[in-house]
Amino acid sequence: MIKINNLNKKFGDLEVLNNITTNISKGEVLVIIGPSGSGKSTFLRCLNLLEEPTSGEIIFEGKSITSIDNDINLQRQKMGMVFQQFNLFPHLTVLENITIAPVKVKGMSQDEAETIAVELLRRIGLEDKINVYPQKLSGGQKQRIAIARALAMSPEVLLFDEPTSALDPEMVGEVLDVMKGLAREGMTMVVVTHEMGFAKEVADRVFFMDKGSIIEEGTAMEIFKSPKNQRTKDFLAKLLT
Amino acid sequence: MLDFSFVNKYYMFFLIGAKNTVVIAAFSVVFGVVLGTLLGLMKHSKIKVLKFFATVYIEFVRGTPLLVQLFIIYYGLPINLSAVPAGIVALTLNSGAYVAEIIRAGIEAIDKGQMEAARSLGMTHVNAMRHIILPQAIKNILPVLGNEFITIIKESSIVSVIGVPEIMYNAETVRGNTFKPFEPLVVAAVIYFVLTYSLSKLVNKVERRLKESD
Repeated sequence: MIKINNLNKKFGDLEVLNNITTNISKGEVLVIIGPSGSGKSTFLRCLNLLEEPTSGEIIFEGKSITSIDNDINLQRQKMGMVFQQFNLFPHLTVLENITIAPVKVKGMSQDEAETIAVELLRRIGLEDKINVYPQKLSGGQKQRIAIARALAMSPEVLLFDEPTSALDPEMVGEVLDVMKGLAREGMTMVVVTHEMGFAKEVADRVFFMDKGSIIEEGTAMEIFKSPKNQRTKDFLAKLLT
Repeated sequence: MLDFSFVNKYYMFFLIGAKNTVVIAAFSVVFGVVLGTLLGLMKHSKIKVLKFFATVYIEFVRGTPLLVQLFIIYYGLPINLSAVPAGIVALTLNSGAYVAEIIRAGIEAIDKGQMEAARSLGMTHVNAMRHIILPQAIKNILPVLGNEFITIIKESSIVSVIGVPEIMYNAETVRGNTFKPFEPLVVAAVIYFVLTYSLSKLVNKVERRLKESD
C-alpha cells in the first residue's frame, strides 16, 4: 500500500534518513523501534509529508505523493496521524474535535459526522465526554480522543508517533488497548514506540532504526528473541535492564 | 494659582476634541486591524514576494517617525486629502505595521502541533488557519489590540499639527484664546488619561474573561 524508495532527509548537513527503501502492505502492523535521534519519527512524518523528504519517492495506493503536482491533502485524508503530544484542538469540544475534519474537509453533513463521532466515542469508552473541552481530560483520554479524531476520516492507514511517550504510566494501558483493538480489526498501522510489549503482541513486522537507517527488520519474534545485529542487541539489552 | 474658570466657557472645545480623538482613533484602529491582519498573514505566508513586501513595509513604518509619515501623507501625496482623512490614513498606515506584528506574534504563539494536526487530517493551510489557528490566536491578540487602541489615542495627538480638531489642537486654541499657557494642557492631559485609563480597565476585564474560558 505504501512504497518507499530511496528516501533521504537532511536537516542542513545532518543526515537524518539515509536511503530508506521498504514496503508497507495493507493490514500490516509495522512497529519502528530505535534509540532517540535514530530518525524513526522523521521517517514516520515523511510518510504524510509533514516532513518533506530531501530526495526519494513515496508511493501511496499507486500514486507518487512526493511528485510536485500531487495534492497531498487528498492522501492525508486517508492517512490518519496520532501525535505524542495529542494535539487536540483546545478551542473545540471533544465532539467538534472529531467532526471538524469530516465536515470541513470531506464535506460530510454535521449529522452524519456526529453519528460517526458518537459511535467512535462509544468504542473507546468516552461517550460521556462528548461535550467536554480537551483541557478537562486526562492524558490517556486525550490520546484516545486523538485516535478517534483520526479514525473519523476513515483512514486507510494510521501513523502513530510515540503515542504513549507523554503519558503517565497508569494511562499507557488504555491507549495501547485501543491500538491493539485496531490492529486486530486489520487496520494498517505504522507505530513508532518504545512499548516493547505492544510490539511483541501485535506487530507483524518490526524495524530497528539507528542513525537514519533500518538496521534490522523482522517479525517481533525474530527481533526480540534473536536479534542479529550488534546494535539491535545493545539497544534491546539497555531496554530490558 | 491655577485658574480653571475658562472651562466654563470653553468646555465644548474639549468635549468636541475628545469626541474627535475617539472617532479618529477608532477608525484608525479598525482600518489598522484590517491592514495589519493582511500584513500579518503575508508575513506568515510561504510566498516569498508577499513576505518580502510585508517585511519591508513593517520595518519602514516602524523605523520612521509618525510625524514624518503624517507630513508625507498630508503634504507629499499628489492627491489632496483634507486634514481629518489624512490623519486617519496616516494613523492607519502606521498602526497597521504594529498590528501586523501583534497578529504574527499571536499566530506564532500557537503550538505548531496544532497546524500539524490540522494538516494531518487533510485540511489545506488556509482552512487550518481559519478553523484551528486563528480562533485560538484571537485570544492572544484581542487584549493586545486593546492596548494598540490606547496607544493610538495618545499618538493621535500628533495629527493636531495638520489642523485636525482633536483634543490637543483644541487645547491649543483655548490656550490662544485665554492667554493661559498651562491650564488647558492640564485639562487635555486629564481627558487623555480618563480615556486611556478606562479603556485599559476594559481591556483587563476582557482579558480576564478570555482567560476564564480556557
